[in-house]
Amino acid sequence: MQVPVLKQGDCLIATVQAALTDADLLRLRDELADKVGAHHIRGLVLDVSLLDVIDSFAARTLRGIAHAVRLRGAETVIVGIQPDVAFSMIQLGLTMESVETALDLDEGLALLGQRRGPGRAG
Amino acid sequence: MLTAEEQQALRDFLSVLDVHQGELDAAMLKTAAEHPEFSKIVRSMGQEQLDEQNRASRALVRAAIQEDQWLPLLDNLRTQGAAYARMGISFTGWFDLLSSYQSVLTPLLLSQQPGKAVSAVQGMTHYVGITMAIIGEAYLRTKEAIITQQQSAIRELSTPILQVRDRLLILPIIGVIDTLRARQLTEQLLHAIRAHRARVVVMDITGVAAVDSKVANHLLQTIAAARLMGAKVVITGVSSDVAHSLVGLGVDIGQLNATGDLQSGLEEGERLLGYRVARLPDAPGGRE
Repeated sequence: MQVPVLKQGDCLIATVQAALTDADLLRLRDELADKVGAHHIRGLVLDVSLLDVIDSFAARTLRGIAHAVRLRGAETVIVGIQPDVAFSMIQLGLTMESVETALDLDEGLALLGQRRGPGRAG
Repeated sequence: MLTAEEQQALRDFLSVLDVHQGELDAAMLKTAAEHPEFSKIVRSMGQEQLDEQNRASRALVRAAIQEDQWLPLLDNLRTQGAAYARMGISFTGWFDLLSSYQSVLTPLLLSQQPGKAVSAVQGMTHYVGITMAIIGEAYLRTKEAIITQQQSAIRELSTPILQVRDRLLILPIIGVIDTLRARQLTEQLLHAIRAHRARVVVMDITGVAAVDSKVANHLLQTIAAARLMGAKVVITGVSSDVAHSLVGLGVDIGQLNATGDLQSGLEEGERLLGYRVARLPDAPGGRE
């Protein structure tokens, strides 16, 4: 399944749909890493609010995306993890320590704006 | 169920009981009226009500022993047991009644013809055993139900999550944290974070007396789960004992954001949210 990736200013917004296969996740990773380089992207928001389960592979891939994108020069924020999903992720030991998180898309964009300094927020 | 012998014994017992029922009722009423726990109940019932109750239970006993219809009797005993348990009558009280019951009946049963006397006493023992077993069970059930109810009430009470400012929650934890409570606490916190769109949670553990590795783990999990939803957790009220045991347990201190007391925790939370609390220059009743 294709994941819609929107460009908003110098940010990318990827809304992960329900029930992505492992192959879909890997394709998303490659696509995002490419786009970040091609469009001079400074921030990436990964919206996972539609996911009702995040298993260890998905968590690892999301973290991998964040790390790869950071090496390409952009910050990543994962937004919209549901309470029940967060709870089961913790049970599985998936704490995603090295990645920024935010409540929802709004918060995520605000966080990225803050990161780049008040002068460029917006 | 019952063997033929047991049934015969019960019948022999019943035949004696039928003759001396009046005496027995009077003796039991006297014991109950003098008993510290049962006296109140006896006093609250009129003579008519007592007679009616005796008549009803006699009919149930007769149906059970003569016609082998035990279910109505057992149901009745269960209901009574539960009712008395809820009234606060102790189970020991029943044994006081029982000993008076047996002391009245035993001489009467033994005065029967030799062969029948033994069988009648056995019948009584059997009847008493069944009765006490059912009442005891009803007591246990009732107490268990009460305990479960209280436990859930305590749990509901014990984890309030309060909003003190826009995007800022406080979570005071008081008492013992076990696995179940930690789970519930985390779930409640996560839902509260979403409902209030919280960005900072101040978790106050002044009321947590001791922390072992399990509890520490639970707290760290709660903090990690809150972070996944984009909320930072500030821990406050860590006593020196708790601090020592956290260090001793090798907890990764790097990921903890801790301040001394609730006040400084709230201030830290406000700082994280970009608030600055300032005194009005002309505010009354303060320092200059």
